[in-house]
Amino acid sequence: MIKRNFLTNLTIYLSSAALVIFILSPLYVVAITSLQFEKDIRSPNLNLIPQYLDFRHYLAIFQPDHIVPVLPAMRNSLIVSTLAALISVLIATPAAYALNRMHFPKSKVILRMLISVYILPTLLFIIPLYIAWINLGLFDTYVGLLILYTTFMLPFTVWVLGSFVKSIPIEIEEAAKIDGASTTQLLTKIMIPLLRPGLFACLIFGFVLSWVEFATPLIFTSKIKMITVSLGLYRSTVDIQIGQLAAAAVIITLPVILITLILQKQIQQVILTGADR
Amino acid sequence: MTNAKLHILGLKKEKRTAWLFILPTLILITCVYAYPIITTLVYSVTTIDISTYTIKEFAGLRNFQYIVSNEFFNRTLVRTIYFGLMVVVVTILLAIGVSLLINIDFKGNKILKILILLPWAVPPVVSGVMWSQMFQYEYGFINKIIKIFGGEGDTIWLGSPTLALHVLIITEIWRWLPFATLFIFAALQTIPHSVIEAAALDGAGYIKTVKEVILPIIFPGVIPVAIFLFVSAMKAFDTIFVLTAGGPRSGTTTLNYLVYLQGFQQFKFGRAAATAYILTFIILVVIFVVFTLNRLTSKRRLIND
Repeated sequence: MIKRNFLTNLTIYLSSAALVIFILSPLYVVAITSLQFEKDIRSPNLNLIPQYLDFRHYLAIFQPDHIVPVLPAMRNSLIVSTLAALISVLIATPAAYALNRMHFPKSKVILRMLISVYILPTLLFIIPLYIAWINLGLFDTYVGLLILYTTFMLPFTVWVLGSFVKSIPIEIEEAAKIDGASTTQLLTKIMIPLLRPGLFACLIFGFVLSWVEFATPLIFTSKIKMITVSLGLYRSTVDIQIGQLAAAAVIITLPVILITLILQKQIQQVILTGADR
Repeated sequence: MTNAKLHILGLKKEKRTAWLFILPTLILITCVYAYPIITTLVYSVTTIDISTYTIKEFAGLRNFQYIVSNEFFNRTLVRTIYFGLMVVVVTILLAIGVSLLINIDFKGNKILKILILLPWAVPPVVSGVMWSQMFQYEYGFINKIIKIFGGEGDTIWLGSPTLALHVLIITEIWRWLPFATLFIFAALQTIPHSVIEAAALDGAGYIKTVKEVILPIIFPGVIPVAIFLFVSAMKAFDTIFVLTAGGPRSGTTTLNYLVYLQGFQQFKFGRAAATAYILTFIILVVIFVVFTLNRLTSKRRLIND
């Protein structure tokens, strides 16, 4: 390490502190709010450093008669996010392989088209889909949400998995081909085992994306039975229990924050390969 | 059969398998993207009967004429562009600063690298809730801090259209900073440490090194990030919905949010479709301009070198 003078060090630590405050203060404020009495939250002289911790807001939001069913919302989100991530990886893997390694006409054009979908505002598709979902009976159903979640992340997943496919040396495949492996065998027996880290990273990424999704359930569901975590949190803003709102925010954010902290390497990898063009 | 024939047969078979591999993706993309994009275009020149969800009548360009001649639309357009530019410029400047910071070897920089990723994992709805609590005027964190430093601390942040728009901008910057930093930091790491150290040995100050060595190298990597941020800002919805619902007095209504209001509050699907196409057109124009400018300047740079 190069020796630095006092002033340089001071600048480094001051800017680090400013950054940490900017990143963490909203998270800290919500966490603290969730642990204080409602009357203290609303009083102007609430301490920024808590004098006590009170978990009653957490108990309240898990009561069955709570205005927003937090547990069912978490169950819905868990089911839909897990399935959407799985299905999109399942569908994207053969597509990514075919588009990057097989003789396919216009594979470059298709790849470029897939990624350019992200330039378009989501509301460009939503109105016809909304009408179609109502007419097809997909409104307010798991299947309806799943199709949308899966397809919204599909182009990105194909794209990212494509980079992982390309990083695998072609010699391995050629050797298997000489041994008489069919294309399907190449994919299932050779590629998929080698792609495992990439598949895992895409699953995690897809899960997080679906977990935080808000606009889709907002527009394509209405029943309280179908509520997801993001929507549930929003619905609880109509109630004015700030402590409970904060507690719900902590509860639905915690799983994805933990995933991000534990699997930050994989997530960084996906983000970087995803837009590295 | 000769070898050549076998080879052609093999290629044909491979092509068929490739089609099978891509088919599920193509079907979903067609149903969920291609079909709606075309249908929205049709809707934009019609009026929709919302009791039956069918096309009531052909409206020609009336939807577009109505929107463009509307004073409210013009203000929304200007606001949207301002919002987009602020998010792009400030996020990029911050991300460059943060990248330079975490590129320095110092105690705690590993923790900083992890912390910077956190906002990415926070659901946009939660960040909307968090920042609205931060800027709450009676007991919000920001006013409290202002009071501690001796200020009045009674600003009603979300009560004024201009202030609320900037609160929204801060929220979006907070949300996208991890992403932008990740990319710019990746670009920064392609510069060997020896280059930076050599510049330092030459007696060039750190700021001079940044300006003359580092920034020109990472610049090409900044362009795609800027475009991504701009598109994200144009698509911002969740945070607006939760933080301000487009208010006060429409002060935080962007074009994308306007499409939602027209479609799902007023149920004027034809008008919403037209606005969605105008927004798409603006996004495409901006991307085209940025790419063209970038090509021109990089050519000039080549000539100068």
